[in-house]
Amino acid sequence: MLTIKNLHASVEQKNILNGLNLSIKQGEVHAIMGPNGAGKSTLGYVLSGRDGYQVTDGEVDFQGNNLLELDVEQRARHGLFLAFQYPVEIPGVSNMELMKESVNAVRQHRAETPLTAAEFLKKAKAACQQVQLPLEFLKRGINEGFSGGEKKRNEIMQMILLEPSLCILDESDSGLDVDALQIVANGVNSQRDGKRSFIVITHYQRLLDFIEPDFVHILANGKIVKTGDAALAKQIEKEGYAFLGLDNSAEASA
Amino acid sequence: MTWLQQVIDRGQQIDDWLSPLRLQAIETLQQAAWPTRRTESWKYTSLAALEQQQLRLAQPATPPAEPPQTAIPGLNSLDLLFVNGVLQTDISQLPLAAGLQLHTLRSASAIQRVITTSMYAQVKPQRHLFGLVNDVLANEVLFIDIAHDSHIEQPIRIISRVSEGQESHHRVLVRVGDRATVTIIEQTQSEHASFSTGFTEIELGEQAKLEHYRLVMHTRQAIYFGGCHICLHDKAELNSTMLGYGSELSRTDIDIMHNGQHARAKLNAIYLLGESEHFDLHSTIEHAKPHGSTEENVRGIVGDKANAVFNGRIHIHRGAQKTQAALQNRNLLLSRRGQINTKPELEIYADDVQCAHGATVAEIAEEALYYLRTRGICRSKALIMLNFGFIQELINQMPNPLLAQWLEPQLRARFKEMEVR
Ligand SMILES: Nc1ncnc2c1ncn2[C@@H]1O[C@H](COP(=O)(O)OP(=O)(O)O)[C@@H](O)[C@H]1O
Ligand SMILES: [Mg+2]
Repeated sequence: MLTIKNLHASVEQKNILNGLNLSIKQGEVHAIMGPNGAGKSTLGYVLSGRDGYQVTDGEVDFQGNNLLELDVEQRARHGLFLAFQYPVEIPGVSNMELMKESVNAVRQHRAETPLTAAEFLKKAKAACQQVQLPLEFLKRGINEGFSGGEKKRNEIMQMILLEPSLCILDESDSGLDVDALQIVANGVNSQRDGKRSFIVITHYQRLLDFIEPDFVHILANGKIVKTGDAALAKQIEKEGYAFLGLDNSAEASA
Repeated sequence: MTWLQQVIDRGQQIDDWLSPLRLQAIETLQQAAWPTRRTESWKYTSLAALEQQQLRLAQPATPPAEPPQTAIPGLNSLDLLFVNGVLQTDISQLPLAAGLQLHTLRSASAIQRVITTSMYAQVKPQRHLFGLVNDVLANEVLFIDIAHDSHIEQPIRIISRVSEGQESHHRVLVRVGDRATVTIIEQTQSEHASFSTGFTEIELGEQAKLEHYRLVMHTRQAIYFGGCHICLHDKAELNSTMLGYGSELSRTDIDIMHNGQHARAKLNAIYLLGESEHFDLHSTIEHAKPHGSTEENVRGIVGDKANAVFNGRIHIHRGAQKTQAALQNRNLLLSRRGQINTKPELEIYADDVQCAHGATVAEIAEEALYYLRTRGICRSKALIMLNFGFIQELINQMPNPLLAQWLEPQLRARFKEMEVR
């Protein structure tokens, strides 16, 4: 599905990723943990193709395509989805308008016919229901005036509608209470079908109680410094990053 | 010989019943200074393209057989077509609603000549240089006369087209009688190297209502100078929408004069400019009488190397108490190479008025653009979704939905072409 080799990336001349390697197969769930500022969000941005995030070395293969050569929108159409840590508010464009365009852009890429208004609405309703987002949120400006939790659920709603092959969830759990966390986790789990792959970026182990990962990676100083299974996440929850010889202060202040 | 001298010479050759008025304009022109960058109202618009143009001032040739103007679907308007300043529509054959009369320079009866002479260059202020040029050179005048108390249902649409290498100078005069209502659409276009002037003067009688559209759709090498000058009498209501594309050189002057009490004016204007197009809009609202209101919303998007100039002046005269006037100019700049020069001007000589004005220039919201693109939406489409909304709002405010439906896809298509990074 995704193979990242020796990825180096910088923002404003500052090196953030320093030789990151990661390989993800179809259907796998990989959790990425790490202290604040480790480069977790940067990884998501680089994979999505954000302007200003410069790849200085390395390769990324996504389903047989050289990911780094594709435009942002092409990556999305090929099935890469990024749920943002801080989704931007866009007043003036409704959620509905966004998702209609978006779903049909992806369908067109897959040589599928565009959805009729009725078909779209049916799918959108189901997706909203899955994350318990009232239907009128579709009519509102994108994330406009949404609470933190509503923004996160809105991201998962979009993910469900777009049916991507690789989902990158950037701290979709942060700032959520246990109920909201469960809603988000259920939304994600509903999309686990053995084919779809996930990168779950999180700061806390607790999300992984709900979304069971196949692998847990620790990202620090711009690379994966340790890989294990769910037990690794539990250990970090208990001991912090200190046992890895990493600064723990970021964790404490988060 | 200077450009202006050529106009004057040619005007002196014209011999028709408007000649006395043409000579008056010539006298004013003889005193007029040719605008330079130091001339306040021409600070950001250079006339170099006009001075240098190959095309000579010449009598318009017989118009070529133009394809028939496409109708606006469902609108069923009364269409009057000018090609190169010559009216193609045989107005004597038109079935006109009761209360509506049309006449032209050529067809005017003795009494109609008197009416025309009493209005020609009367509403339009003398300060507009190219308005004077039009006074001198207009080779056709269309007079639209709406009788008191008449409600003209069918929209009247005046289309002016100018072909390659041609000139066009036409004049429209409109008199809307007391309590009468009418819709007038002025559409002027040329995709060619051409030179045209088109000026319109409108008297809106007491309690009369005018729904007005002025679509300046000149593009590419076209050089255009136009004006629309409207006088409002007691309780008259004007709802006007203006659209501007840019071209080699395009300048429009709008004047709205509140010469009666309790008159209301709403003016929405949109401009969409790409490539190295230039578009200049000067509007002046004069509140000479009390209790008037003006709401002016001017919004534009400027891409590539295009250049927009907007000057919006509101002048509230002494004694025009209880005036309410608001002027907003909002711009979006798509490219660092584009330019927007905007200047709202308020001059207030009455103490009991409500007045607001402002101008903003925004740039592309990169983060929002990125967000939409991560959802699979291509850049140009995302730009439309993010930025067309404030233009769409003005399209939605057009009172005629058929016209709005006809225009919207054209504006979206134009917008798509505009951004060049
Ligand atoms: N736009 C930017 N400009 C400068 N530095 C940045 C920018 N974005 C991120 N960084 C820096 O990159 C590092 C990694 O940030 P980030 O990927 O957001 O970390 P994480 O998501 O792991 O907390 C941090 O030191 C952060 O300050
Ligand atoms: Mg982060």
